[in-house]
Amino acid sequence: MTMRPRFRTVLALSTCLGASLAGAAGAGAVTRGGIMTYGRYADSLFLDPVLNDANVDIWILSNLYDTLLLPTDDGKGVQPGLASAYAVAADGKSITLTLRDGIMFSDGSPITAEDVKWSLDRARDPKEGIWNFIDESIGSVDVKDPKTVVLTLKHPDPAIVAGLSVFNNGIMPKKLVEAMPGATLDDKAKAFAEHPVGSGPFAFASWSRGQTMKLVKNQHYWRPGADGKPLPYLDGVTFEVLPDDATRLLKVQSGELDGAEFVPFSRVEELKADPKLDMALFPSTKVAYGTFNVRPKLKSGADNPLANVKVRQALNVAADKDAIIAIVTHGVGTPMSSFMSSATPLHAGTGTEFPADPAKAKALMKEAGFEKGFGFPVLVLAGNVDEIGIATALQQMWADLGVTLEIQQVDNATLTARFREGDFSMRLGYWTDDIADPSEIASYFGYYPNIQAQHSGWNDPAFNTLFEASQQELDPAKRADQYARMQAIYRDGPTLPLYESPYPVVLKKSVHGFLQIPLGNNIFSGASLEK
Amino acid sequence: MLSAGYVLRRVLQMVPTLVFILVVTFVLVRLLPGDPLSAIGGDHVTDAQVAQARAAYGLDQPLFAQFLLYVRRVVTGDLGRSIVVQVPVWSLVGERLPPTMLLSGMAVAIGVGLAVPLAFASALRRGRATDLAIRAGAQVGLSMPVFYIGLVLLTVFSAHLRWFPVGGYGDGWGDRVYHLFLPALTLGVSLAAVLMRSLRAAIVDVLGAEYVDFARAKGLPTRVILLRHVLRNALISTLALLGPTVGSLLGGAVITESVFAIPGVGRLMIESIYGRDYPVIQGLTLSLAVTVSLAFLVTDLIQASLDPRVAR
Repeated sequence: MTMRPRFRTVLALSTCLGASLAGAAGAGAVTRGGIMTYGRYADSLFLDPVLNDANVDIWILSNLYDTLLLPTDDGKGVQPGLASAYAVAADGKSITLTLRDGIMFSDGSPITAEDVKWSLDRARDPKEGIWNFIDESIGSVDVKDPKTVVLTLKHPDPAIVAGLSVFNNGIMPKKLVEAMPGATLDDKAKAFAEHPVGSGPFAFASWSRGQTMKLVKNQHYWRPGADGKPLPYLDGVTFEVLPDDATRLLKVQSGELDGAEFVPFSRVEELKADPKLDMALFPSTKVAYGTFNVRPKLKSGADNPLANVKVRQALNVAADKDAIIAIVTHGVGTPMSSFMSSATPLHAGTGTEFPADPAKAKALMKEAGFEKGFGFPVLVLAGNVDEIGIATALQQMWADLGVTLEIQQVDNATLTARFREGDFSMRLGYWTDDIADPSEIASYFGYYPNIQAQHSGWNDPAFNTLFEASQQELDPAKRADQYARMQAIYRDGPTLPLYESPYPVVLKKSVHGFLQIPLGNNIFSGASLEK
Repeated sequence: MLSAGYVLRRVLQMVPTLVFILVVTFVLVRLLPGDPLSAIGGDHVTDAQVAQARAAYGLDQPLFAQFLLYVRRVVTGDLGRSIVVQVPVWSLVGERLPPTMLLSGMAVAIGVGLAVPLAFASALRRGRATDLAIRAGAQVGLSMPVFYIGLVLLTVFSAHLRWFPVGGYGDGWGDRVYHLFLPALTLGVSLAAVLMRSLRAAIVDVLGAEYVDFARAKGLPTRVILLRHVLRNALISTLALLGPTVGSLLGGAVITESVFAIPGVGRLMIESIYGRDYPVIQGLTLSLAVTVSLAFLVTDLIQASLDPRVAR
């Protein structure tokens, strides 16, 4: 009889786990101190990791709350966080996590195994927020001893390790939350979110809504920097809310801010040429695409030509992605080779998905019986320069097929409501992953039982079966094969893949080590200001 | 001297207006497509999650039941809690109204401060180069979009000359007035153009009145004639214009607050409408309605004290 190893995966301990961040800051050259000022396009809404659901919160929460594991800088894997090691059982049905020594919340109180259990139990409660799907496979969280927490899974889950690095699993101080005023746990959490005490590299200091949010260095943070002392290097970060693009950039150009996010693509070249600035284009999981309603009948009862896969293929090859990338992203974007971004784990595909081929487009339309074309509306977000640019380009490109595209600009709530009700022919949109695993995008884009494949009505049994199997497949090679097949099937799917684009962030040359990872998280712990 | 009866009558006139706004806002926000949960949950939440959240916020209740609950809360001074940012509406309004009020106040001061001397200069030199130049300037002020004036001022005075900060609100009153000067100037220029044209026409009118000729015949100094007789009478019609203008200033503040990054109610209103944050839209509209009604009340009372016939 051959003994199987006790654990399938063991992540090695390291006493110097700040390696990637230390490298980013430049070993030996790092400067400590200073407050970094950063311009954001919109304010945060709500600083609770479980109940929040918007990128404006998600992308900064990792500065306030550490997770047991942290995403790697490339967004494709995990590295130790508050847990210095983890081990997945051979049958994939349990995970043992070892808590790091001496970890503390920003108020100096110890982070205990009880805090971990309480935080994970809350995060996985189906009644709490919308992110509990990440922890769906967790059956129980048990404290084995003060340093060890065991997660017992309902079934093997290849995504759960990545899930433990997602913001909703941030570790919170149980006693402080429960001591807050409020009749329910939700009320207490909402009160706590006004002045949170966290486990991340920064501590909350103050917040003037719509204006500024101030974070200060967490004096008790565990992670060492390049100089061997604990991170972060900065004394603090001040976020300024500057909704107007021109004003936000002007503030960086005039030296009032150290950096700003969401640089419009049209300004990238100009800022690259500024010797005082560093125009950073951080690799991202962001993809721009169109979604077709593929139901045979539209909500109005009319027949839907977009239900025909040949029509969708014709529209795809009639759309010149390179031209759209040049027009809309000013060359910053890159073509997509799958419905998932190339930064998403298990991405498969090379070259441009549906390269432009006008002759093939016409032939496909003829085969589909729509030689003379037809007309349909596209929903775009009102005032969104990129979406309006894409829609206008498509309008012209598809006119050659006799397709008349009517551009309908609507606000986000209207767009979402119509999309969810299936009351649309086509819409434009963007996606970024939140987890270092492809299951999130696959479940939303293609797995019908979740949200009807992006509310498109596309229901492919082969895709659904593969997805379900991949959700319990622990063999990396087999899972990669399942994902390659899903991506191949999705070529007949309900979308018009357009382009991938990076996160454009402008920084002063004196800023070093700031990082926005492909999942969107803004990582300030390794940032420093040159004096 | 104003009679107490007139003041009371004017205050009571505000009540039906506010009740009307309370009802209309409640209905209108619910006529918009989508609801707070679809707006914040986005495309990716499941129908079950949306239904669960809707029930948690009472949005699955019959509309009339929701309305009764809302009225009961308003009457007891409770405007509810924001669904999107999870804080009491009172606290949001309390945080965001002062910047807008300060901005509007400074804009009115700049607008009036520019309009009165320019209107006099224009009216007293009617048909001459000064008059033509001022009127042409007013025309430019009226026709330039507010956001454009704002960006030009920011680029010149903040980015290049570095006299003012590039947007923001500052800390402490002095710093705030300093931060708000350019945005107030942006709004004030447009306001001055409107007021100047009205005031100039009124001054021209009053200058030809018999009582002004009489004052001159009495040998009163020009300064006294202009201030006591001409300005006082010309202001009556312009003041009537100032009340509604405060309302439109709050509208203009939406754009100015975005360009200059001021955390005011204009931006909050836009964000709340996009997020279908019903309690905030309702509470904010009601608060603004009270503010604008008070602005009307104050201008009416001033008008009545200047011209007692108004109070009759």
